[in-house]
Amino acid sequence: MNTLIRNRFGTDEIEVKRDDLSKVTVVKYRVFELIHLLVEQYGYTTLNAITCADWIEEGHFAITYMLTTRARRHTFMVQTMIGREEAKIDSLTMLFPQAEIMERDLHEMYGIDFPGNGNLVELSLENWVHTPPLRREFDTLAFVNELHDFREGRDDNLDVKAEMKRLRALKKAAKEAAAKKEALKTEEKEEASQPSAAQKESGHGK
Amino acid sequence: MEEGFLIQQRQMESDLSSDTSHKSSVDFLMNWFRKRSIFVLAYGTGCGAIEMPPTFTSRYDAERLGIRGAATPRQADVIIVSGYCSYKTLRRIIRTYEQMANPKYVLALGSCTVNGGMYWDSYNTIKKLEDYIPVDMYVSGCMPRPESILEGFLALQKEIAEGKASSWQRYEENYEFYRKNQEKVLGRNVAPAYDADWYLYDGGL
Repeated sequence: MNTLIRNRFGTDEIEVKRDDLSKVTVVKYRVFELIHLLVEQYGYTTLNAITCADWIEEGHFAITYMLTTRARRHTFMVQTMIGREEAKIDSLTMLFPQAEIMERDLHEMYGIDFPGNGNLVELSLENWVHTPPLRREFDTLAFVNELHDFREGRDDNLDVKAEMKRLRALKKAAKEAAAKKEALKTEEKEEASQPSAAQKESGHGK
Repeated sequence: MEEGFLIQQRQMESDLSSDTSHKSSVDFLMNWFRKRSIFVLAYGTGCGAIEMPPTFTSRYDAERLGIRGAATPRQADVIIVSGYCSYKTLRRIIRTYEQMANPKYVLALGSCTVNGGMYWDSYNTIKKLEDYIPVDMYVSGCMPRPESILEGFLALQKEIAEGKASSWQRYEENYEFYRKNQEKVLGRNVAPAYDADWYLYDGGL
């Protein structure tokens, strides 16, 4: 199976991550051919997830389809790269109807277009007009600072780090003092017990 | 057992200390009735909702203090905003709050409602609840235990008895201020539309 995929799809290597997990990277226009092959011939009948990673430095999104066999023995990760500008890849809903909601999620969070999916409406956000929030060029902090102002701390609030340092030092000092005291006590005890032992010995001797 | 006893004790003490001498006896009675029958809207907005069932059931038994659940906003006196509050939830909270009848009170649980909490840099949650709806009592903590929630309720009861809890009046007087803040994060259509598109037609959930 691995050699067949290698020969047919011209991929370098099928990466075996674990006994039950392999990963293969193919070009964008052959993804569905490969998925179809896996589904029809090798029994990868379950679509677990469609995930996306934003590689902003390389300028592409890595989209991964995770397929599992019927007996849940093996999972295949089929990965493909699509450009970040006008990100677009065909919908998988023809093969897996459940891909619809996963694609809806990716569309909302990354702004990827899925031609063929007729239901790309918003999923968990509402009236979102900015950059899709999980794209890495979206500056969350700037967005928050623009919309919100933060409450100032109390007048008597303390710097947490400095305070923790101080408390730790105090604790350490107390521990050392206690250890010193203990050591003194044992010394005194030993001092007290030694002469008595000597007396005992001497008494014994008599 | 001990916590319950201590709380009852404190409530009795707070009854003695509340200053109601400047009020008329009618006001005193009205406030007393309001204080002793707080109906809380059964509505949870965030993770803090998980602390409410133990508060209202037999372990902490808030009903012995006159605090109990209400099914709809129109029957409720108190809305608890429990924990983080996303923009989408804020719409529903505003709609619910405006449906409630006066007098109405808002109890905010958790550090998220105070200053954003651990979601201080999130793109989808509000940071200070009091900018959008008036808040009577904050209960801080992440999450506040049922004891803290009960203490918050007792503090609220004390304010009601003294006639100080008047957030709904603040909302009416400063409506422009609240509306401006709501529109800043939610856009022009603050309240969600009453339609059944999501349910009736294809293209919904």
